Order: sequence, then C-alpha cells, then structure tokens
Amino acid sequence: MSELFAFIFAIALGLTAPAAAHEEFRVVGEITQSKSALIEVKMRDGKTAAVHIDGQTKITRDKAGADAEELKAGQFVVIDAYGDDFTDLLALEIRLVPPIAPAK
Amino acid sequence: MGAPDPVIPVALPSKAKLLVATLVASAAAAVILVTAVLPVEYGLDPVGTGKVFGLLREPAQDQALTVPQGGDASMAAVRQGAVTLYPRTYKVDTVELVLEPYEYVEYKYHLIADAGMIFSWSANTPLVHEFHGDPDENPHDVRSYDKSTKSNASGSFIAPVTGIHGWFWENPSGERVTIKLTSAGFYTHAVEFRSDKTQRRHELADVPTPAGP
Repeated sequence: MSELFAFIFAIALGLTAPAAAHEEFRVVGEITQSKSALIEVKMRDGKTAAVHIDGQTKITRDKAGADAEELKAGQFVVIDAYGDDFTDLLALEIRLVPPIAPAK
Repeated sequence: MGAPDPVIPVALPSKAKLLVATLVASAAAAVILVTAVLPVEYGLDPVGTGKVFGLLREPAQDQALTVPQGGDASMAAVRQGAVTLYPRTYKVDTVELVLEPYEYVEYKYHLIADAGMIFSWSANTPLVHEFHGDPDENPHDVRSYDKSTKSNASGSFIAPVTGIHGWFWENPSGERVTIKLTSAGFYTHAVEFRSDKTQRRHELADVPTPAGP
C-alpha cells in the first residue's frame, strides 16, 4: 500500500514540478525600500518589483564586488532575477548603477 | 518580569489520523493536478476545467512563435552548382528598435535549413551582442555565431538548421539606444522578445516581383 502512495506521489510531483518552473526577469529602477533580504524597486514604467536576496546573489558595482549594505533606498539597480512575476523574484545578480533619467 | 507561559501538552496524532491526512492531501493534490496543472502545463483537459476556467494555453500564443510547415516548405531551396534557387521571392525587412537604459531585445528570423539572408545593423553606441540561433527541434540547443560588443555589423548568413536566427542586443548604458536593422532573405517572419517579457511577431513583406517586359 505504502509503495502505491509513494508511486502516486512521485508521479504527481513529477507532473506538477514544471508548474514551479521560473522565468528570468530583468528589473531596472530605483530602490524604494530595503529590509533584510528583500528590496522593492520602482521600475521605469512606474510599477514596483519585489526582489528577494539570498547568499547566492551576486552584487556588483562597475563589475567589482559590492556589499549588500549598499542596497539602500535611492540607489539605482539592474537586476537579473528568477521568478513567476515581478512581485516575487529571487535575484541572481544585482548591478549598482548611476542614476537613470526618468522615462519620457 | 512575568511568569513564563504555561506549556500545554499536545497529543501526537495517531497513525490512523496521519493516514487519513495523507490520503486527503493526496486526493487534493490529484484534484489540483487533473483540474489545473494538466490543462495549464500540458494542454490536457480530462475533466473540462481547463476550458471552463480558461486555463488552456492559447493556441495563438504558440502559433505566434512557430510557423506552419506549409509556409516553410515553400521556401525550400534547390542548389544548382553555384546557384541556389528558391520557389518564391525573398522578403525584406527594415526595423528600428529602441532600447531604454539596460534593456535587452532579441530579434530573430525564421529560416529553414540552408536558407540565406543578408543583413546590416547599426546602433548609436556599442551594445552587448550575440548573433545566434534556436533550432525548432530543440530551442534550448542555442547556436552562437558571433558574440561580442559592437555597434554595427553587416554580413550574410546561411541557416545551419531550421529555426529562428538573429540577434540579442543589450544596452549596457544609462542612455536610450536606437538600433537600425535592414535585411533581405528567404525567411518567413521575425519574432521580437524584450526584457520586459513582451513578445511580438513581425509579418514581413515579399519583395515586389519585377514586372515583365
């Protein structure tokens, strides 16, 4: 009986796994909030992206390593992240960049 | 400083309760699998919920990135020595792509294997660039033809495999950049993928057939 459940569970897990597959997103904008491992970024189109940071996230400025402490409100960033949509992303790389002019 | 909260002992669930909980969870997972996951991820709709709740993939989305075989077959080339002949006229394309700061775009043409094109593109600043192709058979088997930072290129291209072939351009600067691309070739259409997740299919014009004498 337990083997049957294990089999059904394995099949269900295998079929549902792709539902959790993530896409890559590019976020460009200004940090509006930074709290522990989560930053919020106002993008050029006015929408807000929520981006989580973990130990694997690479943070750079001018191609050199930078500290997570530099992720403060007002800092402009270019983020490559994985997730399902802009409201729930995990950052792979965060580049600290000079201020970007607002979209015209 | 107050007294610590009393610890209330909680009885562990019995094996029977654990079994029931497992069964209920499995049943719920099976229902979600059949009613939602199969329609969304696999296009299978065994109980009709995909159609009722609009979960089935829109055929138009997939068609936008693939080409009917008939359209491609009409582009099949015949080699005669130094000449390669096609059963129809070539297409032409001129497009201007604007990249906002740090954005990227991919612009690719669908060509069958051995179909050719010529191209020229230029931008007003150097861009991170890769000319590459995604075979129809396995889009993840990306073929890279030219990868470098440059502001212009001109060339000719013969598709090694049937698929979409074209450029990835990334604006590495904080300024707006414009790319101008002109091409002619035995392709069927173009597709544009942008960093804001938008996709667009471009229908392209046949070059006018020269009038007879």
